[in-house]
Amino acid sequence: MVTARVFEELKEAILELDEEKVQKVANDLVAQGIDPVEGIEKGLSQGMTIIGDKFNRGEVYLPELIRASNTFNAAMKILEPEILKRGEERTRRGTVILGTVKGDIHKIGKDILAMLMKTRGFEVYNLGEDVSMSTFLKQAAEHSADIIGMSSLLTTTMPGQKEVIELLKETGVRDRYIVMVGGGPVSAEWAKEIGADGYAETAEEAVSLADELMSGKR
Amino acid sequence: MISLYEVIDRVMTGRYCSESEFDMEILVPRIRELVSKYKIKYDPDNPIPSDDGLADRVFQAGFELFRDVGVYCPDTERILRFSEEELCEALAQAPSAPVFGEGKDAKALVARKPESTARPWCFIGAGGAAVSNEELFASIVEAYAGFMPLADSITAPSIVSINGRTVRTGSPLEVLASIRAVVLGREALRRGGRPGLPIMNSIANAGTDTAKIAGTQFGLRPSDGWPVGHTAELKLEYQRFNEIAFLTTFGGHICAETAPILGGYCGGPEGTAVTNVAYHLSGIITMRASLHLTFPTHFNYGCTTTRDVTWAVSVSNQAISRNSHFPLLVISYAAAGPMTEMVYYEIASAITTTVVSGGSIEFGGVAKATHVDHFTPMEPRLASEVAHRVVGMTRKEANGIVKKLLERYEGNLASPPLGKKYAECWDVARRVPGKEYVDFDRKMRKELSNLGIPL
Repeated sequence: MVTARVFEELKEAILELDEEKVQKVANDLVAQGIDPVEGIEKGLSQGMTIIGDKFNRGEVYLPELIRASNTFNAAMKILEPEILKRGEERTRRGTVILGTVKGDIHKIGKDILAMLMKTRGFEVYNLGEDVSMSTFLKQAAEHSADIIGMSSLLTTTMPGQKEVIELLKETGVRDRYIVMVGGGPVSAEWAKEIGADGYAETAEEAVSLADELMSGKR
Repeated sequence: MISLYEVIDRVMTGRYCSESEFDMEILVPRIRELVSKYKIKYDPDNPIPSDDGLADRVFQAGFELFRDVGVYCPDTERILRFSEEELCEALAQAPSAPVFGEGKDAKALVARKPESTARPWCFIGAGGAAVSNEELFASIVEAYAGFMPLADSITAPSIVSINGRTVRTGSPLEVLASIRAVVLGREALRRGGRPGLPIMNSIANAGTDTAKIAGTQFGLRPSDGWPVGHTAELKLEYQRFNEIAFLTTFGGHICAETAPILGGYCGGPEGTAVTNVAYHLSGIITMRASLHLTFPTHFNYGCTTTRDVTWAVSVSNQAISRNSHFPLLVISYAAAGPMTEMVYYEIASAITTTVVSGGSIEFGGVAKATHVDHFTPMEPRLASEVAHRVVGMTRKEANGIVKKLLERYEGNLASPPLGKKYAECWDVARRVPGKEYVDFDRKMRKELSNLGIPL
């Protein structure tokens, strides 16, 4: 009963975007010896899913996604050491490297996707904008990424997505990663032409696609 | 108005802060405080409100937002701010009737008011959409000159490939494509019989300052227009300041381009409207522009024709045009593509909203301006005709019409029809529409007339 209440409070803290509350409840969880992995899955993640759904319905906006993500991270700083101590592993849906390709400084669509993926349990490394080919590769290797996601909002920067895929092939690591592409002018045909594994038009579709592609990988 | 040198000094010496602090600790809370303070509330039942008080409150909120938040420069990681006195002076001294074009096509672009009987400026064409090759580029731009008699200026496409090579932003091919676009565009307008028609999107191909400045040396005139874009929200990089520095010295018309994202840092339609007003002020004082060119865009659908964006466009348009004489143009991007019923409804809705709310138009893209070759001169011509036909219409009447139009298409925004490509519905060689498109256009004009827009 107490355990269920703690999970509920973790969820509430995410929905209230309250970092102080989430830290207090996470500390209580540890003090009471409750399983931190369960705390993530039955508390924090459920709150994140609700926030993501609200965003898709236009009830909250990007700032709420960012604050929910910050709240989640604040709890994780307390729970992760405990998970390591117990020798457990938390379920992750996948690790994603995300960035806007070289020459393109568009940011908001990609940031929305990054936050939405976090609400759905992906570990996301947002590399920012104007990201070079070598940065995509280095970061993917460093974080043992499952997915490399590339955004482009200009017809004339779309070739940057192709260049990264070609470099993955040249360096013999193409098969290690799922490559997803997106952005205004990007289409399913373009994704196929350049040898990407997937394309999504909206952030929500991209999250579903990432899930689907990860199921194939597992 | 304070000098450009003073602006640059502040970019280098303003308050230091990280980009995320600017976004989340400065911009977002202030937008929300001002929306609440001025009781600004989205009304989905009235996408075009007739409330002057609401418009003026949105203007005041936008003014305070810009005064308190300013513009962030990611290169220096500093905030550029202006005092209330400096902003009032800039508003008073802003251009009100810049002249674009040459010869018989030269004309003043005069700021309008809500329900004004003054004709709107029609800046029409591709909205920077991508065209696959130089031949189609030349054909389309020549068709613009001949097929769009109400065009006051044109917006040219962006060429995807030159000399058989894919153009890549930041590469030498971008510079070469930008130069090629200017040379071809100017020649196409000459062939089309309107050599003085201003090209008001300078070089759609030029994403970098280098390409924009290089392309300018090959036929663009100070009487053309140069969009210089803020990055959402309220950010300006050094590259943009480089363009501003060049263009103010060249004497070219800067078009302050802004695209507040509904669903992003602005929040909902209320915050988007307020932020749009803040951008208006930035266009005058930070960018030294001749006009404000804006396209509030929906985060999910990537177009400007949703109901909530329509409200944000109308309210901010009314706010700006009632309180500023600095010209405002609204760019509309439709979700559907050429020769579809949906694109006719979207165009009629977006253009009616802009014109009765006090703006002039840029039209703009169809198929979200993201699908190669998916645009023709028919859609911008329709936009210009709608713009002229709804002049003088009341906001109340327009609200009723736009509600009917929204009901016809908003259910399809998630999966809009892509329609046909230019070469599929146009006689490319003769620069005229194909018969199928002419017949379709006739049918749709009749329907729009029945809905209250006499075409």
